[in-house]
Amino acid sequence: MKESVQRKIFNYLLGKGIENFIGVPDSTLKYFVDQGLKKKRVIIATKEEEAIGIAVGMSLSKSPSLVFMQNAGFANSLSTIASLVQLYRIPMIFLISWRGYLKNDAPEHIKIGKIQSELLKSLNLKSKILNEQNWTKECLWALNKFKDNECCALIIRRDFLD
Amino acid sequence: MIRKEAVEIISKTLKNQLVVAANGYISRDLFEVSDKPSNFYMIGSMGLASSIGLGLALKNPKKKIFVFDGDGNILMNLGSLVTIGSLKPKNLVHVIYDNGMHESTGGQPTNSNNVRIDLLGKIANYKVFCADSGKQLKLILKKIRNVTGPIMILIRIEKNSYVSKRINILPTSIKTRFMKAIRN
Repeated sequence: MKESVQRKIFNYLLGKGIENFIGVPDSTLKYFVDQGLKKKRVIIATKEEEAIGIAVGMSLSKSPSLVFMQNAGFANSLSTIASLVQLYRIPMIFLISWRGYLKNDAPEHIKIGKIQSELLKSLNLKSKILNEQNWTKECLWALNKFKDNECCALIIRRDFLD
Repeated sequence: MIRKEAVEIISKTLKNQLVVAANGYISRDLFEVSDKPSNFYMIGSMGLASSIGLGLALKNPKKKIFVFDGDGNILMNLGSLVTIGSLKPKNLVHVIYDNGMHESTGGQPTNSNNVRIDLLGKIANYKVFCADSGKQLKLILKKIRNVTGPIMILIRIEKNSYVSKRINILPTSIKTRFMKAIRN
């Protein structure tokens, strides 16, 4: 997804009341994260589960939070999402990049990329895939989930090779 | 000193301060000793008490936040020390009950006997206090009133066979009453 759209998505979510953006950086999301760093709204954690923990503390304080991560980090976080975020019903938006979406992505991303949709389904974590046309609508969907005290995921595909 | 005694000494000094208690016997001890809406009991997600505490501390700068952690728990999330030490929340008190073992799962050893958690805390910008007895712990609790955080209190705990009762509150209720307690 191109730079200008990623920056717009960040600004949009910030404008709609998401106050904290916590996560582990990923190259697919780099302009989104960069926009957050510029606005001094980003906390970089050492791993994804830690980021989720920090976001839980903030959400309990009624300060809306988004956690960003690569799908490798999403796979790391399955237990935390199930036994903390979902068990206690803590509202939160996950922004997850989809490495391994292209079949010729780097080899370490192929397996998780292939099962990512199934993992989301198995967790019963509702998700939408963002693209350059639909992002406003899907971000609004996520914000509404948040208002209903639910967690959900927004996905950005890795649509280029480097 | 056994863990429940240490938990009791600290909770007696707390009024409505927020406490995040790690999963396993630590949450159960706190629940048995002094159940309050301002306690957030974790019943899973081992390792994350300090991270939840950090999020709370950053968003509630006027409140003192206590994390009740274990040696096994913090060793599972050592990165948390780095993040806390970088953001330096003044109002965070990170208590670590160190018995050198995973007591809740049958007493298997942790490596807190081989690598000093107090030194890890120091290097991560914490003000560190160590207690081996109830007397020392009480003195530390008085001393930290005027100390700017992040504070680490490392308490050496003896092995014991006493097991506190299970937490009988639903996770969603733990959350709801805790969120109300934050606003008070």
